[in-house]
Amino acid sequence: MANNNDNFDHVIVKKPSVGQRMFKYRYFYLMFIPVAIVLLIFYYWPMLGIRYAFSTFKLKQITLRTGPDYSIGLGNFTRLLSSDPFHAAFKNTIVLSFINLVLAMVCSVAIALLINEIQNAWGKKIVQTVLYLPHFLSWVVAASIFMLILSAGTDATGADTSNTGFINAILLQLGILDKPVDFLTESKAWPTVWYIMNRWKETGWGTIIYLAALSSISPDLYEAAEIDGAGRMKQTWYITIPSIMNTILVVFILNLAKIMNVFESVFVFYNSLVYDVSDVIQTYTYRVGIVGNDYGYSTAIGLFKSVVSLILVSASDIISKKIRGYGIV
Amino acid sequence: MKKKFNLINPQYAPRSWFVVFNTLFFIFLMAAMIIPIFKIFCDSMVNETVYGLKLIPKGFDPNTGKEVWFNTIAYKRIVTDPGLYKPFLISIYTTIMTTFLGLLISTLGAYVLIQKDMPGVKIFSYMLLFTMIFNGGLIPTFLVMKNIGLLDSLWAVMLPMSMNVYNLVLMRSFFEGIPTSLFEAAEIDGCTPMGIFVKIVLPLSKAALASIGLFFAVAAWSEYFHYVIYIKSSSKYNFQYKLRDLFQDKQESDQGTKINVNTLKSAAVIVSIVPFMFIYPFCQKYFMTGVTMGAVKE
Amino acid sequence: MKKNVFKRFAAMSLAVVMVTGLAGCKFGGGNEADFTLDGGSPDDLPDEISLMADTIITEENGLQDFCDEYERQTGIKLSIEKPDHAKYYEKVTLSFASEEPADIIEMGSTYYPELANSGALWDMTEAWNNTTSNCKNIIDEDYVNALKINGVLYGFPMAAGNGTITYVRDDWMKEAGLSDPKNYEEFIGMLRAFKARGQGTIPLTSSGFLNNGETPYDIYLREFYQDAIPDFYKDEETGKYVDGFAEPAMREAIQRLRDAYQEGLIDAEIVTNKTSTCRDKLGSGLVGAFNYWAGMWSLKLQRSMNEGQLKPIPPIEETGGYTERVPTAFAMAIYAPNKAAIFEHFLMYSHDGGEGQMLFTHGVKDKHYTMNADGSATALPYYSDPDNTVEKSIYAPELTITEWNDPIPLDPMVKSSLEEFRKNRVFAKVPIVRDAIAENLADLNVVKDVVMANAVTGKTSVDEAIEYYNTKGSYYANAILEDLNSEENLKAEEEALAGATGESASDDEAAEE
Repeated sequence: MANNNDNFDHVIVKKPSVGQRMFKYRYFYLMFIPVAIVLLIFYYWPMLGIRYAFSTFKLKQITLRTGPDYSIGLGNFTRLLSSDPFHAAFKNTIVLSFINLVLAMVCSVAIALLINEIQNAWGKKIVQTVLYLPHFLSWVVAASIFMLILSAGTDATGADTSNTGFINAILLQLGILDKPVDFLTESKAWPTVWYIMNRWKETGWGTIIYLAALSSISPDLYEAAEIDGAGRMKQTWYITIPSIMNTILVVFILNLAKIMNVFESVFVFYNSLVYDVSDVIQTYTYRVGIVGNDYGYSTAIGLFKSVVSLILVSASDIISKKIRGYGIV
Repeated sequence: MKKKFNLINPQYAPRSWFVVFNTLFFIFLMAAMIIPIFKIFCDSMVNETVYGLKLIPKGFDPNTGKEVWFNTIAYKRIVTDPGLYKPFLISIYTTIMTTFLGLLISTLGAYVLIQKDMPGVKIFSYMLLFTMIFNGGLIPTFLVMKNIGLLDSLWAVMLPMSMNVYNLVLMRSFFEGIPTSLFEAAEIDGCTPMGIFVKIVLPLSKAALASIGLFFAVAAWSEYFHYVIYIKSSSKYNFQYKLRDLFQDKQESDQGTKINVNTLKSAAVIVSIVPFMFIYPFCQKYFMTGVTMGAVKE
Repeated sequence: MKKNVFKRFAAMSLAVVMVTGLAGCKFGGGNEADFTLDGGSPDDLPDEISLMADTIITEENGLQDFCDEYERQTGIKLSIEKPDHAKYYEKVTLSFASEEPADIIEMGSTYYPELANSGALWDMTEAWNNTTSNCKNIIDEDYVNALKINGVLYGFPMAAGNGTITYVRDDWMKEAGLSDPKNYEEFIGMLRAFKARGQGTIPLTSSGFLNNGETPYDIYLREFYQDAIPDFYKDEETGKYVDGFAEPAMREAIQRLRDAYQEGLIDAEIVTNKTSTCRDKLGSGLVGAFNYWAGMWSLKLQRSMNEGQLKPIPPIEETGGYTERVPTAFAMAIYAPNKAAIFEHFLMYSHDGGEGQMLFTHGVKDKHYTMNADGSATALPYYSDPDNTVEKSIYAPELTITEWNDPIPLDPMVKSSLEEFRKNRVFAKVPIVRDAIAENLADLNVVKDVVMANAVTGKTSVDEAIEYYNTKGSYYANAILEDLNSEENLKAEEEALAGATGESASDDEAAEE
């Protein structure tokens, strides 16, 4: 920053007026036009539609050309607060994303620490390449893969595993199961499977940021510890973890701000039999709005979600400022 | 700091044992990552409802009555069936277009945002950041698409995706790393802002363009939900959509059932992964640049 | 800090101002594309008709040839949109939300009443009453009446609704010396006899047992439901609506299903079966009885077997007959131009018993079928699959709702299964749709599915399952009942009924002739 000031000495002497500066930057305004157009049309214009949240707005209002009926005021919100499926969706959103978040943190940090211990450069590179790979598959592909390998197959007795999905076949062979289980339609199993799918896809990718933090720890610290006679475990506990604690916290907070956003991983993976444990706010919004044609109510749910998100982000921002001196946005 | 590998000598043993276990652990972990994909690959080349533990691409073909290795019947179907290869072409088209538009918007936006003295630049960046935490939601966005007549058009998918605030902010932090003195010098040489952008900023940010371009490409290739909402015509579905469709269809039609449904599904999964598998090893370092950059700056 | 807040506000207000300016023109003047509910003259032909359909011949098998042929015959250009099957319903409602639906849309019975309730569909009662087409002479009016909602016709049946029938292994029956079961006891006896064959036999299987929104809910495995009605219905005595799923009769039905499942008489995978898995099982010779659609499926199922013979059995007496679904309909969007003309030249034309019906049933001459010297016809193979012949272009030939001379004779198996089915069928009613139902029924059906899955497969006891229904389902069920039993609704229904009785009485007479 100091550098900057040196270069702009003449500016400090006499700062040009706003008009002069605007003229100076006229081409930049032109360059911003494409950005502004996309931004306004696809992001800000829809915000005007938030008013539908305060109206009765269904297919009937469109076909009869009456337009949204605003006489209900906060009706959609009172309906939402007393609605069982909404409560379930809200709870599932929090539970699924929070547990997933904690698992993500634990797995990624642990694996990052272990990767860091690999001495062989080639080995490290191969491990990283393989672990990052699933991140680049879409949720549709990840869900498709899991559906195939988790299939219960055609033989319900489990005697013949040639037609059973891969995982079921393994579990049957090991004697852990005596009958194939259809994991995806089983309310008890579904969340676990979903966590596993998430970890399979994202754990490797999650380690990158910790690896970057680990590589920036000064080797002097370890040398000093070694001279003091600290073993490997102690070094990890007293040097490594405290050094990356800040990163862990920041990542955690950043993701905490996003916990209401869980959507596509559920959308392509759930089915009606497990709605009770899998339906999240965004999937519920989709079903109410697109399948149920209740546009007003769906917008109200969306708005509720956005407001909760906004609160979470602001909270994260404040915490972030406390921890590292600057906010998250 | 020389480490000797010795499992008995008490001075080196704990470390050595650790190395052994660590190696085994990562072999196991890599297997856990790769086997599901490999299993699908094998199943895609066996034309029968075989799941089981079989991990070799060899199986009985009911059409010829023989055991065959690498039965590619499902792949042939994907290549010849317009219902399957057209979505693949759509995927390629939208990926290229989105990446191009995305880079255009990110670079232009980022270049404007680094002009600290420009009146209104703070407002622009707040406007951008605000969309990261607040949006109109599903139905209002749909109705906007309807009002501007983009429904059932691929632009409805590509345009919103090309404006990704996260990527734009990432690009801005790359640009901020370019020494200001370069801009000054160019300005004195009589370069216009557009000229500086084309002659200095872009050539200096090749790594950024590669990594952010790849982010756009991966996102565009993976896109599914926008097609559910905005695209009506079956001629405009992308491959992800078609893949999902294969998995959801309960009433498999009877036309052309020479191919086992699961074989076809597996093959479709593999086909949707393959383009990426080819470029992934070459691009890995760019991805990492992008993520670490974002992490540092965030 | 303060400056920041100010700037944020400035950013927001600037954005809002710009967007309002941008949007103003649209919100003010746009969207007023006028349409009229008046059908116009039947002779005022449109240049082009658009159609959105699901269960039709695919593009790779000559959908375009179909359109070209239709244009050749009628002079009207036809464009057909065929979205993916899994998300078809979403695509239909989204196209209505976008105010650009096709002129004619294929509608399943689940959402036909819902869209009619939303005012999205054109009332074609008058057009149907006034038509002079041949269709009127040859049609079985039962199918048209099955689509009337309070006496109003919003869609025209494409083909018979059809329903499920139970197929059994005839050879196994003969071996065990059994005749067709007449009542539930004999039915269970038959399944036990199948089970006694051992070696992993599956006495009874079906796919789609959990209904996923199909109506009526009890379309599969009718033998076990018997007098239970798992939907809302009007109690004739009190004149009020009740939730049939919460009635004791339903409890008994669940108990019957559970007992049979626990005894191993019903396929262990009944909940997750897909048609393809069932067919695999059938193919491996393990299945004794299979509850599935009548008609063409009898042939398909028989073909997937390597040994043995399937035959349809009559319904057992407790069920009171197999259920015929509400037919799938071609409905017309209110936005369609020249509605009366489209009605005549598309819908009536497609059931004319002649050239039009041939096109809509078997497709294009010399592409999908060929005429023989004796006046009969033969189906040609699919473009994409030379081993199978074209079944239908749009309307399934075996489910035709008109009396016409189909030059391609039906397979005797298909015919006999349909005859068996139709002997004792009961027409399902169009589901009632009101706002409260539209809001709650989908969620309630999910609860029902979970109850059925858990209770039948023994994950929970029947009591626990009923308890689950009462706790999780009562929220929706009560909302629906409250609305259905509101005075306003009951009164409206009475009025509609009074208005329709005269008409339907005469219809009944006509049908009996």
